[in-house]
Amino acid sequence: MCGIAGLHLLDPALRERLGSMVTGMLRGVAERGPDSAGVAIHDTGGLRVRKEVGDPLAFADRIDLAGQAGSRALAHTRMATESAVTAAHCHPFVAGTAPAADASLARPGALPLGGTQLCLVHNGSFANHATIRRRLAAAGVMTETDNDSEVAACYLATRLGAGDDLATALRRLTATFDGFFTLAVTTADSFAVVRDPIGAKPAIIAETDQWVAVVSEYRALLGLPGLADARVYEPEPEEVYLWAS
Amino acid sequence: MPRYDAMGDDAFDASPAHHTFGPPVIAGIRERAELGRYPIRGWGARRAVPDFDDLLLLTASASRYPLEGYRERCDTRTVLGGRRAGRPVVLDIPITIAGMSFGSLSANAKEALGRAASLVGTSTTTGDGGMTPEERSASRTLVYQCLPSRYGFNPVDLRAADAVEIVLGQGAKPGGGGMLLGQKVGARVAGMRTLPEGVDQRSASRHPDWTGPDDLKIKIEEIREATDWQVPVYVKIGATRVDHDVRLAVAAGADVVVVDGMQGGTGATQDAFIEHTGIPTLAAVRLAADALADLDLTGDVGLIISGGIRTGADVAKALALGADAVSLGVAPLIALGCNAPTYRLPAAGEAHADVGAGSEVDVRAEYTALGTAPGHCTHCHTGRCPVGVTTQDDALAARLDPALGARRVANYLRALAMETTMLARACGKSDVHRLEPEDLVALTVEAAAMARVPLAGTDWIPGR
Amino acid sequence: MGELIMAVRGPDGTGPDGTGSPEGADDIEFDLAVMSTRHVNAALRALPDGARARVVNPAGRHNLAVGLSRAIRVRIAGPAGYYVGGLSAAADVDVDGPAGWGVGENLMSGTVRVRGAASQSAAASAHGGLVVVEGDASLRAGISLKGGRLAVAGDVGRYCAFLAQAGTILVGGDAGEALGDSLYEAVIYVAGRVRSLGTDARVEDLTEADVAAVRALAADAGFDHVDPQNVTRVASARSLYHFDTAQHAAY
Ligand code: SF4
Repeated sequence: MCGIAGLHLLDPALRERLGSMVTGMLRGVAERGPDSAGVAIHDTGGLRVRKEVGDPLAFADRIDLAGQAGSRALAHTRMATESAVTAAHCHPFVAGTAPAADASLARPGALPLGGTQLCLVHNGSFANHATIRRRLAAAGVMTETDNDSEVAACYLATRLGAGDDLATALRRLTATFDGFFTLAVTTADSFAVVRDPIGAKPAIIAETDQWVAVVSEYRALLGLPGLADARVYEPEPEEVYLWAS
Repeated sequence: MPRYDAMGDDAFDASPAHHTFGPPVIAGIRERAELGRYPIRGWGARRAVPDFDDLLLLTASASRYPLEGYRERCDTRTVLGGRRAGRPVVLDIPITIAGMSFGSLSANAKEALGRAASLVGTSTTTGDGGMTPEERSASRTLVYQCLPSRYGFNPVDLRAADAVEIVLGQGAKPGGGGMLLGQKVGARVAGMRTLPEGVDQRSASRHPDWTGPDDLKIKIEEIREATDWQVPVYVKIGATRVDHDVRLAVAAGADVVVVDGMQGGTGATQDAFIEHTGIPTLAAVRLAADALADLDLTGDVGLIISGGIRTGADVAKALALGADAVSLGVAPLIALGCNAPTYRLPAAGEAHADVGAGSEVDVRAEYTALGTAPGHCTHCHTGRCPVGVTTQDDALAARLDPALGARRVANYLRALAMETTMLARACGKSDVHRLEPEDLVALTVEAAAMARVPLAGTDWIPGR
Repeated sequence: MGELIMAVRGPDGTGPDGTGSPEGADDIEFDLAVMSTRHVNAALRALPDGARARVVNPAGRHNLAVGLSRAIRVRIAGPAGYYVGGLSAAADVDVDGPAGWGVGENLMSGTVRVRGAASQSAAASAHGGLVVVEGDASLRAGISLKGGRLAVAGDVGRYCAFLAQAGTILVGGDAGEALGDSLYEAVIYVAGRVRSLGTDARVEDLTEADVAAVRALAADAGFDHVDPQNVTRVASARSLYHFDTAQHAAY
């Protein structure tokens, strides 16, 4: 149970401003998830993931989020439901293979892009993730934590590895997972949003010619450049929204 | 040992011994075959589960000294919701009356419970369907429930309440919505709930305007704003994943967490829900208390435990395991006359009749007509309560005199409080809230594991 | 409450926006950039009948103008978060922007108007009064409605009027899937298309009384794009009112 914020730039001129835009968005969802926070930033050099226990705003300061450049980002603030409050349990979860990376993918640090690697943030809770976790484990895909959201990340990575495109994998996920979810997912070149069939958790998408954003609450959009002219709407349950660069 | 009634029929006591297709199972299959739907009934779980009877108190002797009864102080005062509310709930005893709806209960029963609670200085609670004026005026401290259905929920009554209880679930049916069969949806109940008269009412199982603790946090703030931050906000959960749920209720801003174990009662629920969901109260209380302790919020966030509390011994053990107060539903109804073979009307012209005075009317035949007998009845859902407790029929409801009922329930609650202080004094405590888990041992391995107290005569706590 | 005094402007009307427009001339202004939600709500509740207030810099904050009980007018100058105008009676609340979940939830009387889109559960469980959404309303608009009226100029998302018990909903645009699921006695009018009906909801013939009700609701909401003769009436088939074996799957 949490706040999520995702930002996908369409206009490369905003690259240097990505971090400051995401900082404002994180502030807008901070109250939803006071336990811990995390961000993932896709940049030309790779993927940077940072996550820490504690106040999300102090976290943003500490990692100088506002100063970071990139093309796509996910941010998350967490109110833990069933698993522990540790950095490893924080979102975003990274799954899939990144070439030449054998270190733990969920840990902070730069990883090269490529392969089927993806990042995921989740607001909600799954109701049948234990079975899916077991099925993944039987197929040799091991999760690192007991967090339910990590199972979704591993499931998607497995589907991508099996040849699904991201939209197909997400549609398969909505048919496979029970529970409540708004998910935002990024890969080396895409940005996607999907919700459970009931639409139990909030989600708002805003789109301009320069960027696409998804947030849990409208106030997280305030301050984004050109918001007044953005197309703002709530994603339909079960429908996959996908942008590729 | 009482046997688990697998299929929800009344014949369970007649069963000679447990076997797969015993008489109650046969009756249950027949009932389903006839109805084509799930059996529905009142009360809580009837199967045998580890409970407070499986614990014993280690009262004083040489190593510890007892306090004298009557002369030496043993406080029962209980404060709930002091952390954020301008007006915390202050009770004379840690024994409260649980939420039961007007609709499920008759107006007379609700009034009697309110009066009884006021007489002994404790709180009572509304239920699905809203607050009645009788109940408000009879109750010194009234907790106002906010349920998924929001039947009868309104800001005027909200501001008239002394606390607000946001109900996520109840022990009899955690994860399930309310239910009131058409025979009890009379004109007044239907009007209060904005429902057509006589419908088999099905309530939602999730709240209409939030889902999950992050959004509950905003909802609780709304309730606080609407009540000017004056009254405590309780969050009630049915006991399932208690550790997580208590933590989340706290994260969402609850002042008090109410945890209702699987023995918690209901006016009408599917039998499969009552018997097969949730965890025993004994297990729930320890999980909840440990979660609060782990958050370092013991005493700051109140813990109320309910589900099968019957005696002062139950109360003392629940407090020892970490509850700040207990809440009772079925037991006060029995005190009112539920399952009695007779009902009693006050002697004519006597406003404050003695509980033993008046005329007694035998209603055994009416229990028989319902297919049950005094001592076995769980037929609240039918609305044909022979003693006027759970009915909306005016003639039946008139069998319960609110003043007489109030005195009986007040007597019962006083007796519980006396038993609790007696046991606390014997443990050397000058305040019932100073009872602690170390004052307990368990009679069975199961109870020892659930309550995390040693098996009697050993220092063994299973799993430790 | 020192900060409260500092933040209150008027009645000269020269608020931070400096406009002093005739519309806002007598407004008392509360600035959420310097006051807490709690202080603003307490100040709003203290206003006498007939007072007018402007709340500036709402910035999507939750629980604005909740629990009002007097006939005051409150203008929220920007986006509001969850439950704006909720648990209120008698007041008229206007939101100049989008609103979050549960706008006007449990409203008893008065009006809550959103000059933008409303998120989920608009007018949830409203007992009376009128909730107007000038844009679209998302999922579960009018859920558990208990006698209030909801008018949405645009589209409504899925599960509109789920378990709605009494009252009237007017949808100026299209309605999403499962409209009127498990409906009791509330009635829904849709000017556009209905994607699909929920369990126990059905389309019924439009009567003269319906046309009059739609005309009145559209007028109160200020909608001029709805033709009262040309709406679809959706109401309960009442087949779930009593337990019935044949409806087994529906439970
Ligand atoms: S006597 Fe009345 S209250 Fe008691 S179980 Fe029977 S119907 Fe219910």
